Amino acid sequence: MRKSRLLLLLITLLTSSVMGQDRILNGKVMDSRDGTPMPSVSIRAKGSSNSTMTNTDGTFSIKLASSAKSLTFSSVGFNDQEVQITGKDLVVSMKPADMSMNEVVVVGFGNARRKDIVGSVAKVNAKDITNTPSTSFESALQGKASGVLVQQQNGKLGQGINIRIRGNSSITAGNEPLVVLDGIPVTSDNLSSNGAATNALADINMNDIESIEILKDASSAAIYGSRASNGVLLITTKKGKAGTSKIEFGFFTGTQTPTGKREFLNTTDYVKYQQRAAVGAANQDFINGYYPDLQSAIDDYTNYVNGKLTRYSAGNDDWKTGKVNTNWQDQAFQKAPISQYDLNLSGGNDKTRFFASGQYLDQKGMLVGNQYKRYSGRLNVDHQVNKWLNAGVNLSFTKSQNFRVSNDDAFSTPLQIVALSPNTPLIDPRTGLISGAKDTLTGRPNSNYPVYYNPLLNKLNAYYHANVNRTFGNAYLSATITKGLVFRSEFGMDQLNQTEEGYQGQLTSRNSGVPNGSGLYYSTSVLNLNTNNYFNYRNIFAEVHSIDAVAGMSYQTRQFDFSGARGEQFPSDAYKKLSSAASKTGATSSSTSNTLISYFARANYKLHDRYLVSLSGRIDGSSRFGANNRYGFFPAAAVGWVISEESFLKSVNWLNFLKLKASYGVTGNDNISDFASRGLYSGNGAYGGQAGQIPSQIANPDLRWESTAGVDVGFESGFFNNRLNIEFSYYQRNTTDLLLYVDVPGTTGFSSQYKNVGKLSNKGIEFTINSTNISSKYFRWTSSLNFAANKNKIISMDGQVLGSDVNKAKEGQPLGVFVAKEFAGADPQNGDAIYYKNTEKPGGGLDRSTTNNYNDATDVVIGKPNPDFIYGFDNAIFYRSFDLDVLFQGVYGNQIYNSGGQYMSASGSNGFDNQTTDQLKAWDKPGDKTMVPEPRLFYANGTNPSSRYISDGSYLRLKSLTFGYNLPKTVLTKIHMQRFRIYLRAQNLLTFTKYKGWDPEVNADYQASNINQGVDFYSAPQAKTIVFGLNIGL
Amino acid sequence: MKRYIYKGTIIFSLLFTIACSKSLDTQPTSSIDQAEALKTSDDVQVALVGAYYDMGSADLFGGGSSVTAELLGDYNELNWTGTFQDMTQIKNKDITTNNVFITGTWLDAYKAINDVNNILGALSVVNASDAGRIEGEAKFIRASSLFELVRLFAKSWNDGTPSSNPGVPIILNPTKGITAADKVSRNSVQEVYDQVINDLKDAEGKLPLDNGFFANKAAAAAMLARVYLQKEDYPAAADAANRAINLGGAAGLSLTDKYADAFAIVFPPAPVGNTTEDVFAIQVNTSSGINAFSRYFSPYGRGDIQIKPAHFDLYEAGDDRLNLFYNAAGSDVTGKFDNRYGNIHTIRLAEMYLIRAEANFRTSGSVGANPADDINLIRRRVNLTPIADANLTLDIILHERKLELAFEGFNLHDIKRTKASIGSLNYNSPKLIFPIPKREIIVNPNLTQNEGY
Repeated sequence: MRKSRLLLLLITLLTSSVMGQDRILNGKVMDSRDGTPMPSVSIRAKGSSNSTMTNTDGTFSIKLASSAKSLTFSSVGFNDQEVQITGKDLVVSMKPADMSMNEVVVVGFGNARRKDIVGSVAKVNAKDITNTPSTSFESALQGKASGVLVQQQNGKLGQGINIRIRGNSSITAGNEPLVVLDGIPVTSDNLSSNGAATNALADINMNDIESIEILKDASSAAIYGSRASNGVLLITTKKGKAGTSKIEFGFFTGTQTPTGKREFLNTTDYVKYQQRAAVGAANQDFINGYYPDLQSAIDDYTNYVNGKLTRYSAGNDDWKTGKVNTNWQDQAFQKAPISQYDLNLSGGNDKTRFFASGQYLDQKGMLVGNQYKRYSGRLNVDHQVNKWLNAGVNLSFTKSQNFRVSNDDAFSTPLQIVALSPNTPLIDPRTGLISGAKDTLTGRPNSNYPVYYNPLLNKLNAYYHANVNRTFGNAYLSATITKGLVFRSEFGMDQLNQTEEGYQGQLTSRNSGVPNGSGLYYSTSVLNLNTNNYFNYRNIFAEVHSIDAVAGMSYQTRQFDFSGARGEQFPSDAYKKLSSAASKTGATSSSTSNTLISYFARANYKLHDRYLVSLSGRIDGSSRFGANNRYGFFPAAAVGWVISEESFLKSVNWLNFLKLKASYGVTGNDNISDFASRGLYSGNGAYGGQAGQIPSQIANPDLRWESTAGVDVGFESGFFNNRLNIEFSYYQRNTTDLLLYVDVPGTTGFSSQYKNVGKLSNKGIEFTINSTNISSKYFRWTSSLNFAANKNKIISMDGQVLGSDVNKAKEGQPLGVFVAKEFAGADPQNGDAIYYKNTEKPGGGLDRSTTNNYNDATDVVIGKPNPDFIYGFDNAIFYRSFDLDVLFQGVYGNQIYNSGGQYMSASGSNGFDNQTTDQLKAWDKPGDKTMVPEPRLFYANGTNPSSRYISDGSYLRLKSLTFGYNLPKTVLTKIHMQRFRIYLRAQNLLTFTKYKGWDPEVNADYQASNINQGVDFYSAPQAKTIVFGLNIGL
Repeated sequence: MKRYIYKGTIIFSLLFTIACSKSLDTQPTSSIDQAEALKTSDDVQVALVGAYYDMGSADLFGGGSSVTAELLGDYNELNWTGTFQDMTQIKNKDITTNNVFITGTWLDAYKAINDVNNILGALSVVNASDAGRIEGEAKFIRASSLFELVRLFAKSWNDGTPSSNPGVPIILNPTKGITAADKVSRNSVQEVYDQVINDLKDAEGKLPLDNGFFANKAAAAAMLARVYLQKEDYPAAADAANRAINLGGAAGLSLTDKYADAFAIVFPPAPVGNTTEDVFAIQVNTSSGINAFSRYFSPYGRGDIQIKPAHFDLYEAGDDRLNLFYNAAGSDVTGKFDNRYGNIHTIRLAEMYLIRAEANFRTSGSVGANPADDINLIRRRVNLTPIADANLTLDIILHERKLELAFEGFNLHDIKRTKASIGSLNYNSPKLIFPIPKREIIVNPNLTQNEGY
């Protein structure tokens, strides 16, 4: 003990330049805007190690060496203030930081001031995230950060959301960023078993988030090594502040409606259309020689169609008069209220700070049967054990219940209801029940009425519940070893337990294929354990050399376990648990795991506050790769020059800040299945009740990381007292050794293999302009514009073309381009669908003549799913106690492929599917010039993939509009409140687009992948949400 | 004390690092490394079971390649009302090269072939007492898959010159890694038939008389009869069919009493063992196997295929086979495949009687029985009057065959070998041959595409 005290003394002696007579200085710190006292402001005496913090009432008292000349005051969100020591008590008023140059930004394993950062890091603050009326926080990032494309697949609750930072860097490995919550990487995988992805990040209560930092360039992300190619999201949760204890209550409630609907035929048009399709088909049958004369063909077909129309009219002739005209689309939607309740408590003193919160979200989906509930709680505690040791824990528990609907490809998904005939009544008059529920002949559900399975039966007699229990927890210990040298050890876990339970009752037998009920139960558990142990050294030498260095290691292991069982034949719908199933049709369990061990280091050096250098490196070892290529090295370097600090610019008044920066770094992507490099046999080849094994994967022992080298150059600037800030970046990211799941000759017995082949690149520019347009005592107006253009191109992939649907990965093209025949409309002579041949002519050029033989036309690129550029434009206005925030967000230059077009806009070629109204323009008689071929029942006239189903996917959205009123401080003081705010908020209020489908922000959930993007297939539109909210702070 | 912390953390970190490095060697739990898979006789046996599983894939002997053949071979007896556009293409004889079902048949067949090539490559570890049987079963699976490929993806035997017509690639070695040598070319139709026949002859020689529901001697002989018939080698076909009937009889096979019994239909759908008529059946139960016939033909599946009046016109009054059809709320359907958990009746004994009858009739022979007796065996079971020897014609035999084996995957191949036509399409129209899958042409430039694609 004595020894350590001696040591302490020694350190103090060494670090204090001069020891002199102590004196005490008192003072008070206030907010310059309204004079309120500011707690927790940190105060340091320049040139000595003495420091302190202000108390709850803003007062402080600091012991000073006689040599101390000035004090530095700093607080997050405020400009640093240096005050000369005069000997008298000080009264200091702090000015809010202008446009964030001094704001603290969280970076990997540390934090830094915005002005010192040389990488490209975007920050989204709590105020932009809090109370966004949506299930998951990613929605709140839309339009907020340049270069970050957020796309929700469809309007189903808690389902897949894609985040793309500066484009797609991979073709078959993952393209989602690494998500780090309070220093610990968390599970963000899809764990759904129903064919449509869920979003594991929906378990995070967005109102707990203090900030989200997005590491965009390679130099800032490289410290996360092999998982950083797609960028990194660093989520930091709220902490308590010493001094004031606060209770905050938040509540909002509102409704959600679809952003758009499609137009379908009414009964009169539908009947006419089907009868015309009968004639079209009869004519073809006659031409093909199946009938001796045209009239008998027409008679046959017309009888057939009329018979079907009668069947779909519940067995009567109502279709002739159009008496029944059901708008099935409306039946797919329901009233969708959303409410959220928040309560949090925060506070603390010098030693201990805490933040505790609870939230309940109760959301109904727009689609019938869709519902989401989430309960979450959090406790964050930070404690100063003694002068050199800090410790803390962040603990969060979430329980969510998602009442899901089937994936977009299922007959039972609500929106496939639009295929039903408008002449089919909602309620079958023969039974008084919903159409399809009961066949009077058999007493069982109808097997061929209506035309397809009625999805409403699923709402009545089926469910699919996904329940998630999630615990995020981490604990840290931070020890100050000597001045500036801190050792930090973090241990975190993310335990996700999900159960999925489904039951399809007797009414659903036409869809399930099981007459007496079928049930399923799946259980998934993912445990992520992580520890980070690192040293951080910060110091300033000779007042001009500033060093901030980090070195350490981290270890992560992930264990995934899955089990599931299915059963059929239940005694009645009253029994829904598998114990009652007469036939157990499936049982399975599986597990997999992977580990990652890493060593990392980073050094930031700053000279004279203007020359910045940052170097970092990480070594990652991953169990996912073969022993030959198990370790990878990921270096990065960045430089910056704050020109505005140079003497020749100091005198320029209108320029407050100008920093030029450039960076280079290498990051990796290991996001493939755990044992992708192995040659494997699987035991899932059981046959006739006997166990069997089959080759399941072909080996590639040389498999290694995908690596992305990124260059980033840009500037950050502030003008006119920092009322105008402009940031600009140009970047280029080249990905090599792509981890491609490449096709191999099927004659080998395998269809694909993971290989490192190919290159792709992303190039782009980003800029952000922030301005304070008006700032007066009662009126303040700020604007923020962000813009990002990205050009993605696959340079090479060994001649492969990947993609089994219309989307392809193809050399020389951006990822996921739509490749199909170019549609040329209807042949004016006979109504055949015709296509441009687009074959290469011998002399060069393309043959632009048309053909009615689909196979004679060449596949060409007919569109791309990713936008040329994305943008966001936010305006915030404060007038006295009112505030208004208007955010527009948009994407431009992408296309959407309506894969459902082959059924819903198919010239009646698919039989009795109801058609979109644009099909009324179909070819009818020779000479007609139209883009809709002749209707021909079951003749697939023009329904094969082609540009017929491509549309412009650009849109501009009024993403969010908030209008709020805060009770003024004078009133608040009287009623003993800290805060009272009411607001109206609307999400997706207006959408401007040429897309004729439900909503242009779409990707059919069942097929979504890196390659398959921008496809619409009966996909639910996004929600237009309007809520009224209230915040009370005590 | 701080120094201790400092030292302690360094030591702790180092120790931890060493401990962690070891854990990078994680092992799969749901699969095993290929090097560990075929080490013992039992390992090879379970791999053989796995090969049957792959043989029964949805687009192969699970029924898919028969359903597509039925749709392609149909003129006006079937009504396709399904939503799968790629099936619609086949029905309309307007196939695109990326048709998923056709691609599936190709991939499934070569997967099964690679399965058994691995087994044939591992025979050295098999117990002597099992080696012959395992080799025979493996070759039966390889031959059956290759034959399915050659008759769907290549010109039929009687169309031009089989020795120069491109068939499909013959693969005889297991795939251990992907190399340039895997970009194989197509063997000729004749080479493929020769390989199929050699494999089946080997199989027939090595297989036991009785082998549970796995392939036995009778199954190999029966498949051989089917191949010879397609090749129009009638004497060999008659011989092989006769052997199949006798070998089957010795193993306890006989025609079921009622036609319907041959299809083992139960409600609700449930797994049923082989019938006495199953020379070879792909096993389906609730936990493994897919019945694609049921999927497309039965209202208990997707019910995409209905039967049109033209088909019913083919039957004589009183034909018991008519009783298998029923009206499912407005549409006529066949009930043959209503048990979706029922086995796939790949080779029924009835087919052997029909092959023997036809081959004997064409060669004026009477191997095993005279043609009229075989035909009348089939007719009597369905309550039809026997046909006198003198009145029997080839047309009657082919007609009987069409009705007896209706929708079971024979129609297209019978049309081709009898040089009949489908509407305006001749038996040798390129439209009646599957395209080589587009993905395959892209990854392997050595494959030539079929005419018309």
